Parts: sequence; structure tokens; C-alpha cells
Amino acid sequence: MVTKTEETQLNQLENRVENGGGGVWEYLSLVRKLKVRRSEIVLKHGLSILNDSGKRSALGPDEWTLYEQVAIAAMDCQSLNVAQNCIKVLKKKFPDSKRVGKLEALLLEAKGMWEEAEKAYTSLLEDNPLDQVIHKRKVAMAKAQGKPSLAIEHLNKYLEVFMADHDAWRELAEIYVSLQMYKQAAFCYEELILTQPTLPLYHLAYADVLYTIGGLENLIAARKYYAATIDLTGGKSTRALLGICLCGSAIAQVSKGRNKEDKDMAAPELQSLAATALEREYKQKAPAKLNLLSSALRSLKIS
Amino acid sequence: MNLGFVVGVFGVLILSHAAYSTIQYRGLLKIMEEEFSRPPMNVIVELIIGLALCMWAALTFPGKFLSIHPDSDENRAVSLPDNSEFMIFNHRGRLFPPQIDMKF
Repeated sequence: MVTKTEETQLNQLENRVENGGGGVWEYLSLVRKLKVRRSEIVLKHGLSILNDSGKRSALGPDEWTLYEQVAIAAMDCQSLNVAQNCIKVLKKKFPDSKRVGKLEALLLEAKGMWEEAEKAYTSLLEDNPLDQVIHKRKVAMAKAQGKPSLAIEHLNKYLEVFMADHDAWRELAEIYVSLQMYKQAAFCYEELILTQPTLPLYHLAYADVLYTIGGLENLIAARKYYAATIDLTGGKSTRALLGICLCGSAIAQVSKGRNKEDKDMAAPELQSLAATALEREYKQKAPAKLNLLSSALRSLKIS
Repeated sequence: MNLGFVVGVFGVLILSHAAYSTIQYRGLLKIMEEEFSRPPMNVIVELIIGLALCMWAALTFPGKFLSIHPDSDENRAVSLPDNSEFMIFNHRGRLFPPQIDMKF
């Protein structure tokens, strides 16, 4: 996960690099450490380093990591020739390497040659049946070919073995949400919250899914998780504040014709507190949109 | 850093000196057959000085303290990692080749 200080650092370095100041290597290392996806910039500036043989030899052994990073960025930007050349250089240096084998199979995937990529991955798996990255690539291939059910099957089998992999659980939750299988997505997010309860983004996503499923108990639970997100972020999450307002009005609507104790679940104080906090934040950050927000909140309270 | 270390060592030496003088004082009282209620005033002053020096050294020697608030800027997660192991290349960006013609 990317923290706020790291994000500001990344943006500063990016501005510096894009406007022609130095610091390309620090930017590339930071992108590699934070695992963000900035393929165009990485490709442009990584190539400028690689094409200049003076700068290239100044890197020393890190040169090969740069080749790998530029190869993957090139595949993302659809510059397949660049990727091919990088992989050729890497293969000359490390002829029997599994890592280079993975890159070659990745290139086959980027070209769209699914059967050859499948064959390459199966042969790599024979040598090393417990390789996490290759299993994940098979899931990604199924996703890219537009077969989400196959992807779900592969991912479930993977998670039976590697139960602690957060990225895989998150990926599974996102695939379920894209297929509108919200109950299963809620299960995945519950697993994530169990293993990393201090990360407010998971609480937020879980609350979103619960709010989408609907029904009184789910709405009440969604409101609890939005409140937990606000607690964990110290009130800085606009989305959670809006979530509380929406949940409050949805609960009021669902429990309209019911008896008194269900009406008590409406918790109007929480809703008004969230509304005040939202207006304060909008006044600070986007005062032009404050009228829009106030009218929206008013219509929520009426309904 | 060096100053904190030296001050810390000094504080520990003062405390051990206070301990040694208290033990000697007790020995003296045993000879004079009196009750040992508390160490003499100068030892107490020495103890307070040693406490202050050691505390100052403990706070300055380790360097920069890390933040423990979950919503401080260093600990607040702004975004989750982009899941690059599940990255697919079949996206809409495929139709937009990069502007500059890259050669290698």
C-alpha cells in the first residue's frame, strides 16, 4: 500500500522527471518499490537511460532489473518490438533463467498468442509447481481472454494452497463484483479485513458491497463499516462520510412502514454529523461544488 | 548522536556511583547500629540528576521517532498496490500507440 508521504514523493519525482530535471533512476526505483503502474513514463525515461551506453554502464548490476522493468512497461504500452529487444538482451546475459522464461511467456501473452503462452506456462510449472507468479499469470490470461468463470476457478484453486495472499483475495473480490456476485465478493472482503484489520480501504470496499446488496441488516452493517473507516482514517475519507449519509437515508426508506424499534436504527445524529463534516470539507477543498452538495444532502434527508 | 551517547554513559555512571555510596552508607549505619530509613540527601540529589541525564539521553540517542497514529501522513494508506502480477495487456490502451516512436 502506498502511504501519503510516499505518494507526494512519487508525484514530486514524476514532475521533476517529466520537466527535464534529473532523478530518473530514483523515480524508477520508487516505482519498482511501490509497485505502481506508470508504464508510459517508465518506458520513455527508461529507454532514454538504456539507449545511452554511458548511463547504462553507470548503473552496474541494476542494469538488468531496468531491462526487465522497461520490458514490462513496453508490453503495457504495446511497443512489442522494444520489449522483444530487451528480452533478447536479457536472454543473452542469463540464458537459462526462469525469470527470463517468465518474461518471454508474458510477451506471448501481450501479443495475444494465448495457446503458446499457455504451453510456455505449463512447461515452466513442470519445473517448479509451486511458483506463485505463474499461477497468477494463468488467472490473468483467463481474465484477459474474457473467461471470468475460468479465472475464478483457477483463483479458487490457487487460494486453497496460498491462503495468505492478499492481492489474490482482492483480485477475486473484484472479479466477483464485476460479475455481480456480491455475496461471494463480501466473503472475500471479510477475509481481507480479518487478515489486515488496520487498512481502512478494505473496510470501505466491504461497506460498498454491503450497501449494494441492500436489505435492512446489510445496510446497518454497511453503516457500521463506513463508521469504522472514518475512525481509522481520522475523518479524512470523503467517501465514507457520503456512505453514512446514503446509508442513513436508505435505512429510513426501508424501515418506513415498520415498528418503532426499527425506526430507532435510523440514528439521525450520525447522519447530521457526517453531513456537517462533509460540508466543512467541501468548503475547504472545492467551494464551487458546495451548493451541489448541500442540495443533494437536503434531498436525501427529505426522502 | 554522539552527545546523547556521552550524556547517557555519564548518567549511568552517576547512578552507579549513587548506588555504591548508598551501600557504603548502609554499612556505616550497621556499624553504628542505627536504622536505615533513606539514603543521605546528597545521594538523593545525585539520583535525581542521574535520572534527568538518562531520560534526556534515552529520548535523543535513538534518533527520529516513527509516527504511530494510523491517520498520520506516513501511515495513511492512500491506495492499495496496483496488483501488477494480475496485470493484463488486453486493455483499451492497446489502441493508442505511444506518440514518440521509440527505438531501442
